[in-house]
Amino acid sequence: MRGNMRLLKTLTWVVGTGFLLILPWLIPTRMHVAVIALYYAILASSWALLAGYGGQFSFAHMAFAGLGAYTAGLIGKFVRLTSAPTQTCFEVPLGGWWMVIQDTASPTCLEQAKATMPVGSLIVKLPPWADIVAGILIGGLFGLLIGALVLRLRRTYLALFTIAFAEILRTVVNAERDITGGPGGLKLDPLFPNGVTLLGHEFGPADKLPPYLLMLALFLASLGLMYWLAGSRFGLFIRSIREDEEAAASLGVNVVRYKILLFTVTAMIAAAAGGVYAHFVRVIAPNMMVIKEMSVVIAMAVIGGMESLLGAAIGAILIEFALEQLRNDITVGSFTLNMADWRLVVFGALLMITLRFWGNGLIYPIIQRITRRGVAEETVAKRLQAASANPEEGP
Amino acid sequence: MEFPSIFWYTILWLIFWGAVGALVTPRVYAHKDKFTHQTAMLGAFVGAAFGPVGLVLLWWFTPPVTAKWLTLTGLVTLLWLSLAFAKADPDNLCVTSGSFIATQIANGLVIGSIYGLMALGLTLIFSILGIVSFAHGEFYMLGGMVTYYFTQVWFPDINPLLGVLVAALFTFALGAIFELLFLRPMITGQIERPGEYAILVTFGLAFFLQYTTLTLVGASPKKVPRFFDYPRITLPSETGNLLKVTPGNLTFFDTISIPSARFTAMMIALALLFALIYFLYRTWTGKALRAVSQDRQAAAVTGINPKRMNTLAFALGGMLAGISGAALVQVFSWVPWVGIPASSRSFVIIVLGGMGSLPGAFIGGLVLGVVEALGAGCVPDPNRAAAYLPAYGMIILVLVLLLKPTGLFGREL
Repeated sequence: MRGNMRLLKTLTWVVGTGFLLILPWLIPTRMHVAVIALYYAILASSWALLAGYGGQFSFAHMAFAGLGAYTAGLIGKFVRLTSAPTQTCFEVPLGGWWMVIQDTASPTCLEQAKATMPVGSLIVKLPPWADIVAGILIGGLFGLLIGALVLRLRRTYLALFTIAFAEILRTVVNAERDITGGPGGLKLDPLFPNGVTLLGHEFGPADKLPPYLLMLALFLASLGLMYWLAGSRFGLFIRSIREDEEAAASLGVNVVRYKILLFTVTAMIAAAAGGVYAHFVRVIAPNMMVIKEMSVVIAMAVIGGMESLLGAAIGAILIEFALEQLRNDITVGSFTLNMADWRLVVFGALLMITLRFWGNGLIYPIIQRITRRGVAEETVAKRLQAASANPEEGP
Repeated sequence: MEFPSIFWYTILWLIFWGAVGALVTPRVYAHKDKFTHQTAMLGAFVGAAFGPVGLVLLWWFTPPVTAKWLTLTGLVTLLWLSLAFAKADPDNLCVTSGSFIATQIANGLVIGSIYGLMALGLTLIFSILGIVSFAHGEFYMLGGMVTYYFTQVWFPDINPLLGVLVAALFTFALGAIFELLFLRPMITGQIERPGEYAILVTFGLAFFLQYTTLTLVGASPKKVPRFFDYPRITLPSETGNLLKVTPGNLTFFDTISIPSARFTAMMIALALLFALIYFLYRTWTGKALRAVSQDRQAAAVTGINPKRMNTLAFALGGMLAGISGAALVQVFSWVPWVGIPASSRSFVIIVLGGMGSLPGAFIGGLVLGVVEALGAGCVPDPNRAAAYLPAYGMIILVLVLLLKPTGLFGREL
């Protein structure tokens, strides 16, 4: 029976991954939505790890995604690599190259330097993967900081603190127009500025398939990482912290370490998603960090099932597609329902009703039904067996 | 505009020594086997106010933490901050004109009284139900919307105070219905992890109400003219030195100028505040509410039904937010997401005043009103000052949560 279960699980994973891999050929016109759906899936599942498993109701998850996105964008805007020192800008030698950081006080320093630099010197941008990695590191750093600051705060206080952090970050990004572009947005390079060749087929920078595959890889990698974490001692410890922090501490769980680690890991995953997303959509605005975005991610996780990483991810993908599909108006006779507005009302109502009546979400019970099929029968059969072996103890 | 670097160094100096003080002082007190309560806060203030010298003296003598020390060092820190601002921008109106500051503070107090009223609703909910309603701002928004539709669209010539009354009834009913449908199951044991459920479900309600309103009324800003035009009064009658009233404005002592719409809003807030105090301290139901907030079981033993008090508290809290919105709809233009900054403000206020403390909420509201008015008026570069407006309160929230999570008047955790 156990062998069958494992086979079933593996089969589910293989089929799921295979389905996501062939998805581009099924819906070639909706690739944009597919990438965004995966972005939300990463965020919703990492939030599920943070809030569902760890009980840390953070509202700063989109802020971490925004940190990843803006770090990537700002590096693309201000940091250049040159093959010769410029003498005019702030620069750091870096193994034969110089990393030049322009600042808003002297925006033309690179232009001036071009006159003095030797002929044939190169000025290049960092490749997108490098600034995404930098974004992940910055996200992790802030996750560490926030994790350390909120150690003493529980539930409502934690929620308020993280809302405040997210709002401060958004306000700063919004206000510092000279640096971040403010509400007008910040432009980024595409993920593959020079195109990419996959299986003998050349894709240009604007093609959607390579970003989709990259986002899919990130999604699978982060899901794998989180499942590994959740299944290890780490997962056990953070769930014990969720249930009762004092009891966990008294049993020897290092509450401080695991809480901070949980914040850092989920912040890094969110920042990674944010960085790839930013390079994919190519213009980011502080609006990606508003409370509404956070509500959307939370609603996806809740409807999918907060205590299941896979449930939250599937919920996010389904809901994103549903929300996009529902943009079209529904006409019944002469009466037209403007779905572009109503869909979010329905979504909000669905969130509340799910919370009220299906605390485990809508997707997670289905997953449980599939993966735990036979478990109940097995247990019942075992009990009956045990009961017939010692009849005096009763079933 | 560019700030001189001395300004940034001053700010960095304050933050650095404040952080050092906040982190090290509790350890020093613990090491000396002294009472560590609130030492983080004292350390932060002393570090920011007097730098390393102050900290060394503090760690040497480790005096007991008293309100006197906290106030004194807090004021010195504030003084340093304002000096840094004054030095950075000597031509600022806040440095050169006392009457400008007085006007800003007066306007801050006026608007702060409304914020306080709204936060009173939230703190009432917290003290009875033990939850923070993340949909509080949406009640505020709906209060304004209902007043707009009632007084401007459906019955254009009606007394605006009737609009406020209708808004109050509407938000009261909405709060009661939501509590019965979604929060009642929490106390009857139908929900696992009620604390987390409460956060999420009120968050969901906020989302739902925002988009329902957006769908029904659209995104265009709604504007309500001021409720009352004031009669022209001048005191003393020839010069108007003491008080000058025009239909749209009040001027006290020739210096402090308050728009009359805001003044009306403050009057509504104060009237309601007194009504609420009377209700809570002089009527049976109000006393029952306070009893439940102090001890649920004991209150139930004396014959109070805590479940009904839950419904009443949530509805009353929503109503207070709704009335705040109705009073302010004549001051600001109204859109469906006007509730988002309003909820943030309420969060700041109840944390600052102490969760569940009624006087704390009102005083916190006044403080936040003044801080926002001074922040908006005094930070150089008006564009930037306005853009940073949502952050001032949030910075207060973060600082209070880190240094003194019980707030000014909160019960000890």
